[in-house]
Amino acid sequence: MSGRGQVRFEDIVKMHGEFAALKGVSFEIEPGEFFALLGPSGSGKSTTLRILAGLDAPSAGRVFIDGQDITAADARDRDIAMVFQSYALYPHMTVYENIAFPLEMARMSKAEIVPAVQEAARKVAIEHLLQRKPGQLSGGQQQRCALARAIVRKARLFLLDEPLSNLDAKLRLETRTELKKLQRSLGVTAVYVTHDQEEAMTLADRMAVFMAGEIQQIGRPADVFARPNSIDVAAFIGSPPMNLIPARYRDGGVEIAGHRLETSLKEAGERDVVVGIRPGAVRIAAGGIPAVVELVEDLGDTAILDLDCQGISIRARVSDGDVPREGTALSITARAADIHLFDATTRRRL
Amino acid sequence: MIARRIRLIAVLAITLVFLLAWVFPIVWSVLNSLKTDSDVLAYPPKLFFTPTLEPYRDVLFGSASILPNLISSFIISIGTTVITMLMAVPAAYALARLRFRGKKFAGFYVLATQMLPPVGIIIPYFLILRNIGWIDTYQGIILIYLSFSLPFAIWLLVSYFEDIPFEMEEAAYLDGASRMKTLWRIIIPQVRGGIAVTVVFVFLNAWNEFLFAVVLSGNTVRPVTVAMFNFISVEQTLWAKLAAVSVLAMLPVVILGIVAQKNIVKGLTVGAVKGGGRR
Repeated sequence: MSGRGQVRFEDIVKMHGEFAALKGVSFEIEPGEFFALLGPSGSGKSTTLRILAGLDAPSAGRVFIDGQDITAADARDRDIAMVFQSYALYPHMTVYENIAFPLEMARMSKAEIVPAVQEAARKVAIEHLLQRKPGQLSGGQQQRCALARAIVRKARLFLLDEPLSNLDAKLRLETRTELKKLQRSLGVTAVYVTHDQEEAMTLADRMAVFMAGEIQQIGRPADVFARPNSIDVAAFIGSPPMNLIPARYRDGGVEIAGHRLETSLKEAGERDVVVGIRPGAVRIAAGGIPAVVELVEDLGDTAILDLDCQGISIRARVSDGDVPREGTALSITARAADIHLFDATTRRRL
Repeated sequence: MIARRIRLIAVLAITLVFLLAWVFPIVWSVLNSLKTDSDVLAYPPKLFFTPTLEPYRDVLFGSASILPNLISSFIISIGTTVITMLMAVPAAYALARLRFRGKKFAGFYVLATQMLPPVGIIIPYFLILRNIGWIDTYQGIILIYLSFSLPFAIWLLVSYFEDIPFEMEEAAYLDGASRMKTLWRIIIPQVRGGIAVTVVFVFLNAWNEFLFAVVLSGNTVRPVTVAMFNFISVEQTLWAKLAAVSVLAMLPVVILGIVAQKNIVKGLTVGAVKGGGRR
């Protein structure tokens, strides 16, 4: 791991007129880390990336890279490489010229540029395409070309703005794996913007979940998945999303559809809560909440059941083999450890 | 099947009518330029005649040679085109890309200057040039031509610059390029189709301009459009020579059109298809 590429955001605010795109965002990224900015569109994740790249200036707050305040620095002086969603390849240049461009701008000699370009092209397996123009490449090849242009310079920070979103589903999965391997082998710090929680979960060492211009939660993907700190994060992470059911908490348990479920919260008293249960945590077992199977989505190895529990919709994921048919009446339950509780008013985790 | 064939014939017929209407004056000029004066005036018009290059020899090397006028036209047109492009390219880029105070007004002003009828401004222009002593000078005529070629060129180029995605430029900045380098290395190569179209139109306008030239030129600087009138007088019109000058005056435009054709077609179709401008 290189020791370069440490990032610190301090209370970054970005205003577009009256509208606050970022409402005081702070986080830190460690050198060599693969850090994902995850959130729905319009949540501020791309704005954050653009501020880090120097393409937009923050309205308030400061940005540090490797301890150095770069808030006012020009994009070209930041030593940052970026892969754009559209790839932004230069259409009039060949693949070779595209990859060589950042090195030319750094005034490197031709003797240094040629091997560097070949090395970068080899890493992303496009060394046979160097004489083509971007227009003659497939989407996947264009994406690799954009990657090669970003890694050729050995910048201290590597930014990726939804780089997989223009690829088809199969290629996206393949490229995802390669991207992770590439980042590991280069040891660079990578900041990755995506709205696809699965991408963030699989790629990132840590991630920040953005909602409405604020970071809701920062953590390792597994931790965010296991312990979402708000209803919004819980609803956003996981596919299919977590079941969120308004309920009444009373002395360690919650009541859903007239049936009591024990929780791991051991607090005396009563309050309105939102109960979160992941579809995968819903168990079919006797003596639980009565439910009727409304719809079955068979995914091959698993199936998603849409259940009606006396007017409350709950989705359950069951593994193949024991898939109940539509219309079947059954009863469901969940372990206390699998039940997430959120305050109904503050929407925060209890 | 038959209906389709009829439609095809109808389309071809209409196309042919338009083509003839367009081509006839040119063919007529070319034919007349190869006739003697008596052949030109023969009635009924002679379709078969002995071609002669006499009119060309006369207008090029005779006593009333138009060679100096052709040279004048070249100096004026090339001067206008070069200066226009040098100023219009950065101006169009700025209008397309930068955010600055009065941008909207600047854009409107550029267009508004095109709305004035030329006749309305010719007298003020004449007075201005006379006061600064620039009547019948290259700099005078080029200056006046700039006043309408520049807005036109800027207006034409802006749309080409706007077609280039912002991200392309941002990628260049992150790759370490300055704004000038980005303009030169990334943006301009991509709008070269538009630049070719603009060069052709600006050159054409300057080359064909007559109204301002006839008022603002004199004996020293007299472009070919004005000089052509030497062959029309009260007593007689020298049709063969006039036709020869017309053909000579057409030549540079036609050659420029052929040379730039590939780029013009590319330039005119940019933006027709999503992403088409980027290829």
